Amino acid sequence: MDIIRSGYIKELLESGKRLESRGINEFRQIAIKCDTLGNAEGSTQVDIGNTKVLAGVKMVVEEPHSDTPDEGNFIVSAELLPIASAGYDVGPPSPSAIELARVIDRGIRAGNCIDLKSLSIDKERVWSVYVDLYVLNYDGNLFDAGTLAVMSALSRTKIPKFENEEIVHTEDDKPLKIQNTVVSTTFCKLGSKIILDPNGAEESAMSTRLTIATDGSCVRALQKGLGGSFSVDEINNLVDISFSKYEELKEQIKAISKE
Amino acid sequence: MSHENKPELVINGKRADGRDFEELRPLKIEAGILKNAGGSAYLEWGNNKVLAAVYGPKEVVPKHLTDSSKAIIKCRYSMAPFSSLSEHGRSGPNRRATEISKVIREVFENVIMLNEYPGSEIDIFIEILQGDGGTRTAGITAAAVALASAGIAIRDLVYAVSAAKIGENLVIDPNMLEDNYSDADMPVAVSPKNNEILLLQMDGGYTKEELKSSFEMIFKAGKKITDIQKESIRKLYESVSK
Amino acid sequence: MKKIVLPGELISNGIKKLDHTYISNSNTYAAVVGMYNEERGTLIPLEGVWLPNIGEGVVGAVTSERNNVYRVMLTDFVEGLIILDRYSREYFKVGDVIRATISEVERKNRVILERYSLLRGGILLNIKPVKIPRVIGRGDTMIKQLTDLTGSQIVVGRNGLIWINKGNVDLAISALIKIENEAHTSGLTERIKQMLETNR
Repeated sequence: MDIIRSGYIKELLESGKRLESRGINEFRQIAIKCDTLGNAEGSTQVDIGNTKVLAGVKMVVEEPHSDTPDEGNFIVSAELLPIASAGYDVGPPSPSAIELARVIDRGIRAGNCIDLKSLSIDKERVWSVYVDLYVLNYDGNLFDAGTLAVMSALSRTKIPKFENEEIVHTEDDKPLKIQNTVVSTTFCKLGSKIILDPNGAEESAMSTRLTIATDGSCVRALQKGLGGSFSVDEINNLVDISFSKYEELKEQIKAISKE
Repeated sequence: MSHENKPELVINGKRADGRDFEELRPLKIEAGILKNAGGSAYLEWGNNKVLAAVYGPKEVVPKHLTDSSKAIIKCRYSMAPFSSLSEHGRSGPNRRATEISKVIREVFENVIMLNEYPGSEIDIFIEILQGDGGTRTAGITAAAVALASAGIAIRDLVYAVSAAKIGENLVIDPNMLEDNYSDADMPVAVSPKNNEILLLQMDGGYTKEELKSSFEMIFKAGKKITDIQKESIRKLYESVSK
Repeated sequence: MKKIVLPGELISNGIKKLDHTYISNSNTYAAVVGMYNEERGTLIPLEGVWLPNIGEGVVGAVTSERNNVYRVMLTDFVEGLIILDRYSREYFKVGDVIRATISEVERKNRVILERYSLLRGGILLNIKPVKIPRVIGRGDTMIKQLTDLTGSQIVVGRNGLIWINKGNVDLAISALIKIENEAHTSGLTERIKQMLETNR
């Protein structure tokens, strides 16, 4: 189902309404399914409305980076799969996919969500946490779906044992130590209105986008996308809304990590 | 694969995972799962988890590949970096995936009525989210359902499954462990209407008789696979009204 | 007797000339998922790709213009051409939404359009072309109750694009989505009527 004419969406917004009677600062229905992939050390599928993303975590033993010899590594990659939208092509990660991965990475890294020092194995080796985000169906707001998926997958990740130079999976593998929870809220500007969690049709009509990642006490990452601009007042207001959404989203992640 | 440390694959007439020689791993299919694709299917086969999607018919890109008399088919089989238990796959095409994409494309070029969509391109995508042996056959089985759910004209609902030889024993649908230690491994795609073979690959060693028997086993198992495929499509039209 | 048939399934022993089927060994087989009505001898596809026919009304968007020829996107696969002659008073820009009738089918994915006019304002909804007959309904029953009970202007293209303007656009969209999802069921016209009346 495609609603093509952006003019109508803007018109609706001017009268304070959105399609399907959604609130200006309301998320679509969020569904989180965990441990969907047994070969990954952690995995989660997140649906926000019709946007569907999958995050898989693989734990790999590697050499540490020379500038952080006693810390493990954390790498987020994203792929906008061609199955997700007619507009996605086959090929190496596009600038959008790279931006998506890097923004999610920054928020989680800045929030110190993973205790990287605890990932050290010995002088030459550390655990690297590779998180791959697979976008399965695009209907707007990949940033928030992606951050939620990556954060949830990490919270369900178990670290295998490293014995006799081999990675061994056992029943009592310990969970990855998560020290902090970061969530993201993405807003976009359509005409004079700013709305939360744009769907695909709204994104095709938007002029500017702002993603805010917080951990409840601090803003951990910001990313403005596309042309257009925000005033400082607008940004401060959005940060407030972001903090107010934090508890809601954090509860969902917490509920998942306890299962 | 080296036969040192070879695990016991057959114990007391049953396979290591408890199956009979001709028994399929559990198979579940859900059609129409992705909203943007023209057709799609999600399939779980043993520990394999596969997503197939179809786009098109649409304009050909790049334009010079257009064939004004028929559709051209593009197929991409790809394994997710988190799909394997033992390693993190780096993303990007590799030679194995390229070959598999090609043989799968050839299956569907045979089965899609290309003349119905001249000057167009039909794209088939197969994403392996989790692999445990038999991913290409799982992919073909899922892609057939995706094509049917897209309403693209096809001659038949194709299925695929592998046969293997473990020691003296002929088996159906080997998992990754059996695959790695088998003496022969043969993925096959079939058009069940006339039991035509559309994909056939094998490496290892089969006698003539073993080959014949293996095909019989495949056709027998194929009936079950076809039923599950058809059920997944019919399910889309289960009456909604109350 | 109506039943759902799947690709490769036998429709009839003997040759029947039906869209969406093929002949093999003098028997007729289904090529798509469809509803086969044995008495009427029809196969209605439940999913499928729209192939244009002369006389069909379509809705599309102008994608380019050159030398008085406009190209109009009708589906991902089919393109329409509007060839202006010097008597034409119509004049379009890229992005305009138009309604038109197919006058000629050049090939499966290219048609010539006539009796074209601009649709101003409104929005475009894209539903699966196979479901469009249900949106129109037998004797126009469905489309009539849609326009009456929403007060909207609704122009339905056989290519799956529907233009909606004014009136209760939200309600019209919801009803159209419901029709698309339940097109294969019976009693739909009545259920949609109830939905429209309850939510006016």
